Amino acid sequence: MGEKRITFRLSDAFRLGYDNVRRRFNRAFLNVAAIALGIAFFSTLSLTDAILRFNSPKESGLVIEGYQYGLVLVSFVVCAVSITNSMLIAVYERCREIGTMKCLGALDQHVLKLFLAESIILALLGGVLGFGTGFLALVLVCIFMGFRALSIPPSTLLLLLGKVTLLSLALSMLATIYPAYKAAKLDPVEALRYEV
Amino acid sequence: MRSDVIIETRDLARYYVLGGEVIKAVDGVSLKVYRGEYLSIVGPSGAGKTTLFNLIGGLDRPTRGKVIIDEVDISELDAYELAWLRCRKIGYIFQTFNLIPTLTALENVALPTIFAGVPRDEGMRKAEMLLKSVGLGDRLNHKPSELSAGQQQRVAIARAIVNDPDIILADEPTGNLDFQTGREIIKLLKELNRKRGVTVIAATHDLKMIEVSDRVVFMRDGRIERIERMGV
Ligand SMILES: Nc1ncnc2c1ncn2[C@@H]1O[C@H](COP(=O)(O)OP(=O)(O)OP(=O)(O)O)[C@@H](O)[C@H]1O
Ligand SMILES: [Mg+2]
Repeated sequence: MGEKRITFRLSDAFRLGYDNVRRRFNRAFLNVAAIALGIAFFSTLSLTDAILRFNSPKESGLVIEGYQYGLVLVSFVVCAVSITNSMLIAVYERCREIGTMKCLGALDQHVLKLFLAESIILALLGGVLGFGTGFLALVLVCIFMGFRALSIPPSTLLLLLGKVTLLSLALSMLATIYPAYKAAKLDPVEALRYEV
Repeated sequence: MRSDVIIETRDLARYYVLGGEVIKAVDGVSLKVYRGEYLSIVGPSGAGKTTLFNLIGGLDRPTRGKVIIDEVDISELDAYELAWLRCRKIGYIFQTFNLIPTLTALENVALPTIFAGVPRDEGMRKAEMLLKSVGLGDRLNHKPSELSAGQQQRVAIARAIVNDPDIILADEPTGNLDFQTGREIIKLLKELNRKRGVTVIAATHDLKMIEVSDRVVFMRDGRIERIERMGV
C-alpha cells in the first residue's frame, strides 16, 4: 500500500494550538493570568533584590529574605494546580474534538503535542505579561516611595527575562502534562459517544 | 491485482459487559462489501450499526472475528498503520457532524491533510476546491456555529474525502437533518460514489434514505437479518 506516513508537523501543532487559544480566549486567559500572577510575584521580588544589590550600601542590611522566595514557590504551586484543573476541564469539553481528530488519523502523540504546544503558547504569554506586570508594579512602588534614579544593569534585566521565560515554560508544561496525557489516551469510541 | 471485495468481516463480534450482563452489540456479522458499491445498513436504534462501523474503522477491537480491508487483517496493524487507515483509506461522516468548533470550514476540511503530511498550501487548496464542489464556496471562512446543519454536514463530507479515501463510513449522516436536507446529503454521497468510485457504507434507520443503495443490509440485535439487492 505504499508508504504509510502519518505526521503532525510542529508548525501545525503551534498553529492549531494558537487558533484554540485565540478562539477560546476566556479559558486560555485564566491560565495566562495564573502564570502571569506567579511570574509577576517572582519578577517583582527578583527586581527588588537586584535594586537592593546595586543601589543600597552593603551595610544597610536590606536583603530579600529566603522565606519570601518560599512564598513565590507556594504561589507557583497554586498556579500550577489551577492550570492543571482548568486544563482537565478543557480536555472534557474537547472530548469529542479529540475523538474526531483520532478518527481523522491523529495518533496519541499528536494529541499530546497539540496540548503541549498550547501550553507553550500560554507560558510565553503569561511569562511576558507577568514580567511586565511585575516590572510595572515595582516602578510604581518606587515612584510612590519617592525613590529616583535607581538603576539595574540591562544584563541583569535580560538574564531575569530569560529566567522568567524558562520558569513559566516549566510551570505551564509541568501543569499541562497530566491533562495532555489524559487527552492523548482518550479512547475515540468513548470520546465520540460522550455528550457535552 | 486488487480484489473486488474491499471490506470483509468474518464472524465479527463485539460484546460489552455491563454490570455482569453481556450486551452483544455486534454478534457474528459476516459481510462482504464490494469495491465501488453503495451499501446501506438499516436497523433500529441499538442494532449495532455504530459498533460495526467502529470495528471496521479500527477504532474498536472485536471480541471475536476479523475485519479484512484490502486483504489485510486489520487486527495485525499497529497504531501507526491504523491511524494511516483512518486518515487515508477511510473517510468518516457522523450524525453529529463533529466539526472542530474553533476551526473554519476551510480549516476543518484541511485538517486530515495535516496528518497525511500534505504540504499546507496544497491541503488548503484542495479543501477549498472540495468545499466549492459541495456548494460552499461562499462559506470558506465560516465557523461551524455559523452554518446550518445541512451545510455543516457538507463540510464534513468534504473533510471525509479530502485525502481521497477508498471508503466512506457514514453513520446516520441524515439523522440530524430534515427530510429535504437529508435527501440532498444522500444525493451528494451517491454522486461521490458514482463519480469517484468511493465505496460508501451508510447506516440509517430511515427507509426513505436507502433507494440510492446497491444493497441494503438489515441489522437487528447485532446480527444481519437479511440483505437485499436494490433493483436498478
Ligand atoms: N460502550 C458501551 N458499553 C456498553 N454497551 C454499549 C456500549 N456501546 C454500545 N453499547 C450497546 O451496544 C448496542 C449497540 O449499540 P450501537 O450504538 O452500535 O447501536 P446503533 O445501531 O448505532 O444504534 P443507534 O441507531 O441508536 O445509533 C446497544 O445496545 C448499546 O447500548
Ligand atoms: Mg449509532
